[in-house]
Amino acid sequence: MSALCDLLQKGDFIVVGAIIIVAPEIPDPPRDFSAVRSSDRNLHAVPVQKRTPLACVETLGRSVLERGVDQMLRAGVSAITLLGDNCLAPVRGEVDQAATNFPLTWGDDAWLGAAQILSCRKEPEIDVSFLIRAAAFVELDPLDALQFHREQQQVVTRAFDEEGPLDIWVVDTARVPESDDLLVMLGQSEPAHYTVRGYVNRLEEPRDLRRLVVDSLSSRCRLRPQGSEMRPGVWIDDGAQVHRTARIVAPAYIGRRSRVEEQCLITRCSNVESDCQIDYGTVVEDSSILSNSYVGIGLDVSHSIVNGNQLLNVDRGVTLEIADAGLIRRNGILRKEASLKSAEAFDWGETMCAQDAGKHVLDDGSDA
Amino acid sequence: MLISKPVVIMQLPEELNRETAQNFMLELQPLLESHRPRIVLDCSHLRYIDGAGVEMLLQCLEEAMKRDGDLKLSAVSPESEVILQLMRVDRVFEVFLTSEDAVRSFSVTPPEADPQDSPLYAAGLFGDVEALKQAS
Repeated sequence: MSALCDLLQKGDFIVVGAIIIVAPEIPDPPRDFSAVRSSDRNLHAVPVQKRTPLACVETLGRSVLERGVDQMLRAGVSAITLLGDNCLAPVRGEVDQAATNFPLTWGDDAWLGAAQILSCRKEPEIDVSFLIRAAAFVELDPLDALQFHREQQQVVTRAFDEEGPLDIWVVDTARVPESDDLLVMLGQSEPAHYTVRGYVNRLEEPRDLRRLVVDSLSSRCRLRPQGSEMRPGVWIDDGAQVHRTARIVAPAYIGRRSRVEEQCLITRCSNVESDCQIDYGTVVEDSSILSNSYVGIGLDVSHSIVNGNQLLNVDRGVTLEIADAGLIRRNGILRKEASLKSAEAFDWGETMCAQDAGKHVLDDGSDA
Repeated sequence: MLISKPVVIMQLPEELNRETAQNFMLELQPLLESHRPRIVLDCSHLRYIDGAGVEMLLQCLEEAMKRDGDLKLSAVSPESEVILQLMRVDRVFEVFLTSEDAVRSFSVTPPEADPQDSPLYAAGLFGDVEALKQAS
């Protein structure tokens, strides 16, 4: 933060802002934005997305989106705006949860919204703005990127890694063109190329999420698990319960309020995210158990990602939706406990809690 | 002389859950109660199997082995393979790519082979022991 402040004090830039958008890739070639801008919203051709963007999935305690916001805050970026695209409406709840401290503003076209905000920023004297699509995990040095942008003296600088362009731009807000032209510029033209020197994981497929966890737990990138490192390589987050007969073999991570029952073994860069339960005797090896998942008794989860009742075997490239709730499922019981806590926290009234007391309700509404 | 009983291939349904597993078990029961049953379960149509389905397969294997027979699986889809692995039974069953391979595997080690009918194994082993004794 201090480095950027120093830079600001020298009068190079007055204020630096950031717009982080949760949306599909910028269309290539760009859409006819003039048509989209008109009142006819039916022209919005982006199909509805039913999968939560991987950057919004809790990874070692926090989503990549939230970590990105933090990175900007630490760098001293003052005005941060988060935009969500309505094509992600089916997973809006998950996306909102991914950045609880920074509420998203949802709209029909996040790209167009970002362009309009950039145009507006001329007035409140935000000179330079980062425009970031929440997609890849990028170890970006914002100060270095800003310095490079200044040296290039172009309206737009785009970040690249060795595989090609990344969805990170630095835009000279004072010189930003009309929103339509800016979007064309972002998508098509040749801005200044800033090469990211740090670690990049594009998070394009679920296996990339596994790779990010492995790279983090193996200290191959700067992403650090939340919680405390109880012993070398074993990270336990707040409220996690690990039975004394369970074994956590490093490197591994156990998330907030998760429970690892008797005789379980969690090992080989596995991560159990928040509000999960790993039941008696189960082995989790080289796998990610995503938030709010229950893994049943005596199972062997290896080379996989478990999300509720879905299991993706990364090695075989097989995705299963398991109807047998005894194997894997959404963790209804813990969710219930969490919702009761929320009810208390937000004072939703005694009646609701009293009615549900002692009764666990699963996701599908059935009683446990 | 070795007399091989025929190997029976049975096709598993598309879905093996509590209900279909019970029906399938009823079909398989007479075969399992025969002497030294040799069964191949063709999983090529199997798309989904749950805990009850895996339980049924284990029960069949147990019954077959009690009667000195065996039960093998063929053409297991990657999806079913993942479930078998998840439930830690992937190493319990012998799995073959095709039913033909599974049938052939029975003829390699016929369960009818009485130890007395296997002179190569018996004589070979004891012969070696005797040779060792003499050498010592």
